[in-house]
Amino acid sequence: MFRIASIVVLTLLSLAPSRGRAEESKYGETKVRQLEFTTDVMPVLSKAGCNLGTCHGNLNGKGDLKLSLRGQNPTDDYHAMALAARGRRINLNAPEWSLFLQKATGSVPHRGGIRFDVESPHYALLTRWLREGASGPSSTAARLVRLKVEPSEAIVVEPQNKLPIRVEAFFSDGTSRDVTDTACYELSNLNASVDQDGVVSRSKFGETTLIVRYLQIQRPVPIAFTESRPDFQWSNAEPHNEIDRHVFAKLKRMRINPSDVCDDHVFVRRAYLDAIGRAPTVDEAKRFVHDPEPDKRSRLIDELLTRPAFADFWAMKWADVLRTEEKVLDTKGVEVFHGWIRDNIAAGRPLDEFVRDLVTGTGSTYERPPANYYRANRDPSTRGETTARLFLGTRLQCAKCHNHPFDRWTQEDYYQWSSLFSQIEYELGENKRQDSLDKNEFAGDQKVLIAKMDEVRNPTSNRVAAPKFLGGSELEKNAMDDRLSSLATWLTSPENDLFVQSQANFIWYQLMGLGVVDPIDDFRLTNPPSNPPLLDWLAKELTDSGFDVRSLVGTIMKSRTYQLSSEPNDTNVNDAISYSRALVRRLPAEVILDMQSDFLDSPSSFIGYSPGIRAVQIPGVLSKKARGKSLEPGDRFLKTFGKPERILACDCERSNETTLKQVFVLLGDGLNERLASPSNRLAELASSSASDGEIVDELYWAALSRPPSDTELSAAVDLLGSPDVDRATAVQDIAWALLNAKEFLFRK
Amino acid sequence: MTLPLTNRRSILRVGGAGMLGLTMPKLMQAAERATSLKPRAKSVIFLFQWGGPSQLDTFDMKPNAPASVRSPYRAISSSADGIQVCELLPETAKRMHHVTLIRTMTHTMKNHASAGYYALSGHEPPSDDQRLRDSLDLYPAYGSVVDHLAPNVNGMPTSVAYPHVIRDGSIVPAQHASFLGKRHDPLLFLEDPNDPHFKLPELSLPQGLSIDRLHRRREMQRLVDRQARLLEYSDEARGFDEYYERAISMLTSDRVRKAFDLSAEKESVRDRYGRTSYGQSCLMARRLVESGVKFVTVYFSDSIGGRRVNDGGWDTHGFDDTRMYEIVNNYQLPITDQTLPTLLDDLEERGLLDETLVVWMGEFGRTPEINKNFSRDHWPQCYTTLLAGGGVKRGYVYGKSDERAKFPAEKPVKPEDLAATIFQLLGIDPSSEIYDRDNRPLIIGGNTLHDVIA
Repeated sequence: MFRIASIVVLTLLSLAPSRGRAEESKYGETKVRQLEFTTDVMPVLSKAGCNLGTCHGNLNGKGDLKLSLRGQNPTDDYHAMALAARGRRINLNAPEWSLFLQKATGSVPHRGGIRFDVESPHYALLTRWLREGASGPSSTAARLVRLKVEPSEAIVVEPQNKLPIRVEAFFSDGTSRDVTDTACYELSNLNASVDQDGVVSRSKFGETTLIVRYLQIQRPVPIAFTESRPDFQWSNAEPHNEIDRHVFAKLKRMRINPSDVCDDHVFVRRAYLDAIGRAPTVDEAKRFVHDPEPDKRSRLIDELLTRPAFADFWAMKWADVLRTEEKVLDTKGVEVFHGWIRDNIAAGRPLDEFVRDLVTGTGSTYERPPANYYRANRDPSTRGETTARLFLGTRLQCAKCHNHPFDRWTQEDYYQWSSLFSQIEYELGENKRQDSLDKNEFAGDQKVLIAKMDEVRNPTSNRVAAPKFLGGSELEKNAMDDRLSSLATWLTSPENDLFVQSQANFIWYQLMGLGVVDPIDDFRLTNPPSNPPLLDWLAKELTDSGFDVRSLVGTIMKSRTYQLSSEPNDTNVNDAISYSRALVRRLPAEVILDMQSDFLDSPSSFIGYSPGIRAVQIPGVLSKKARGKSLEPGDRFLKTFGKPERILACDCERSNETTLKQVFVLLGDGLNERLASPSNRLAELASSSASDGEIVDELYWAALSRPPSDTELSAAVDLLGSPDVDRATAVQDIAWALLNAKEFLFRK
Repeated sequence: MTLPLTNRRSILRVGGAGMLGLTMPKLMQAAERATSLKPRAKSVIFLFQWGGPSQLDTFDMKPNAPASVRSPYRAISSSADGIQVCELLPETAKRMHHVTLIRTMTHTMKNHASAGYYALSGHEPPSDDQRLRDSLDLYPAYGSVVDHLAPNVNGMPTSVAYPHVIRDGSIVPAQHASFLGKRHDPLLFLEDPNDPHFKLPELSLPQGLSIDRLHRRREMQRLVDRQARLLEYSDEARGFDEYYERAISMLTSDRVRKAFDLSAEKESVRDRYGRTSYGQSCLMARRLVESGVKFVTVYFSDSIGGRRVNDGGWDTHGFDDTRMYEIVNNYQLPITDQTLPTLLDDLEERGLLDETLVVWMGEFGRTPEINKNFSRDHWPQCYTTLLAGGGVKRGYVYGKSDERAKFPAEKPVKPEDLAATIFQLLGIDPSSEIYDRDNRPLIIGGNTLHDVIA
């Protein structure tokens, strides 16, 4: 990925002064021709920020002036600048007195502040355009056809801390010019800053993406700032499989050594939590740790993937994003839909077939479970957005109102895509709502039908949008009556890169905590993968396996990369996105609650479910029986710890954030009542004949999958032996500490 | 050792934005942190009148309108020159010299859910639809924005909301932090401050758990955490651990517990506020503000109500053979006239009114024409909001409605303008940006009403 190394950077640095502030050369060659609105004036308006969403690019404009967002529509912008408001914004006789220039330079009050000064080349250009008669966009003017950005990617090695970028624009008339000073620059994070002239400066070591924008073209430039580490020695970590070759190749270029492989105590816990959503029992953990065979990790992974709990846990992940919730699907809909998702996973159904069933799902939502996909997504826009988000990793929402500012999608693309979903109609039954006022609620069965003859119109043009695959071709005329099956064929094809990559990335994210493209639903030109060959390989692996989820999960878990410790070393302490160590993250709400229940050997309670159900097995969000009742402790816990409402078809709805309120639940009655119950494992242990040491050992293995250290053991034994504290109380206090240990609450 | 956390939400804008050498981190700061306007109010008490009170029967009386429009109640003079209020608000009338009325609030949302969201967020909903569903796509509550841009550093929560979650069928959006993240949620409680056994479970140690035992547990937890070393290299784990510190200090510190302890108030004070959920909630608001909470939201009721005289909000259509003028005069107006004047007096007596902005408003007003049930329906086009203290003018009316209080006659005010004014008074630049889940920069307020600021 980073072919251009520091040498190139140095070369460019030495060139930088000659490029300098050479104003004559920059606008010099344009002196022979009249300035053109689209290619000369528009870049300056963009550079000055006039057309940003927070300024005049806002949907409603600002202060009566509305420009197209980020200059998407020069014709409208020309109209707004030069003709609208009876032409009062410009003054051809005295360009300096033009209102927009006075505003931009602050000589009259401007809520957007001073955008440039009268000495600036931008001011000179704009006054010249006015002097020349302020002509509008011309259909014969040269168009921008290509943008060349150098370097296209870079690793900047200390002591170098700056990277100058050079941008050259190529036009349809064969001319080209350096537009470094007029291009717009944005960075993807705070690791660096960029100035007006495209010089990127390190703020801290790490990676960032510079997005260069000029007129309608954008280019991403991945940049890494690394320490020099003159005595860096590649650790030569032994790859377990292809994943490691791709990850380590990048790390080596960046002079980063991966962390060591995690120890068995950490691994056994991690593998159970990631594969089946629960911690190992005392016996399971001990058996694994004491197993002397070298292939025990692979064997454990293979064994975990065959367990029913694997289907429970992974069904929850898909149920989240498929909007499996009671208000719209009703209790029975949630049950059959969740059951179908779970059965598909349990049976190893190929992911492409699973998705095909969803997007073609029609009929009774009680009898044909996949029909719930469209029961939950009730209009063409939502269906289109959800399908793009889940199965193409693409956020389309921006394009609903205007062309996507950071991606290639136009507003027309949006409505053409929605158009594929326009024929769906519902046959509602009685729809006896629990709450007649709640129009979000749907009760009872309903049928999803292909019936409607409505077409989707693009609200800007008010023309019918012809159905078209996103980034693909228009639907063929003879397929117009059965749009969904053509859609499914196109969507789930192994040739559909976005589909395959987004699905592979989804699985990778579930295990690694960070997508190769992240956020996982935001594949776009300006958000490139952190390791493109890795993403390509994962995608190929998924198709080669016949879209087998378990197979890819197993391959990832067997990689050395997955098994790295989370503890950083000297070289990878600044790495956040290249997988040089495991990411520490808070466990999901359901998993924490189930772990508490397992530890205490005492189930939690949820409204509408019989005792004993695990939190990860709950099909929906909250039982309809909860209406008007106060929640059960289990339901409250899940809500506080961020179980998603399942309204958005986005993994981002699940919150693994930590909050003050969560701590109150853990400190207060919420957990304390469970600990103090007379019928849990703690009460049993306290009244057993086990020695103090045995009790402590059992508690540590049960909670943390490891024995206590000497310090921990002696502190706990002291407490158990204290004459001031009764035994049950002491056991509860030790248990509380274990259930609140970060090691318990976080995946390490 | 501190590790960098990637912030997936923060695409930073420079290219377009900073001609004058604003480098990216500076822009970031400008965007994500409130610039320091001089605050006029330290705190806000936001009294949300769910259901929609009638402007014509409270603060925008039209005694000369036809009988089909004017209130059956008389307009009476108040302590402010030229301001008349409803005769059922005689105590409130005596405090009008403290307040600013905005009589030209206006929007077009006719449903409670969409109008309520607009009122609680200052952002126009995407559609006027009762089905507007609370989700992370919609804007956060005011208190959450304040916590995001100008969080409290005094150990008190920035924002507290109670004693209801309001709904009309579905939960009304903008009662939490939405895309800003759960950590910015207001501290919400649903316990009734008028309950004799009122206490916050969060601030109460469980039965049988002494402070000593709590500390013992915490010590033991620290010991385990030291073994795993997670706190040394994980910002997330460390952040969670800091919440333990904060929570334990809240549980054990007198300041926080006392702020929520209504039993510390004299019985006579509690009586003055009124022994209702709303009355005691307003007393709680004064205690919270006094101890440093920045944004207190009190919901008048959980439901829009309007059909009974002993609970619910202001939504008096006359449905089910009820009559507005048999309900508001027996429930909502008397409660208001007991509680609001008491709150203003109490703040004034304690020298808090100048630094505390009180906002009294509903999601819309009610139809000028009295309907066939001798009641009024929803009317968002023109209604009145009351402001007091916190740097707003005293005895002042902003905007003028037409002769039937049907449309603004001059100076219309949108909810986003009121939002801007609230933020401005708190010293938060109303043009500050927040970023949603799609990384769109969103401005928190409209145009500040400079005329209402003293």
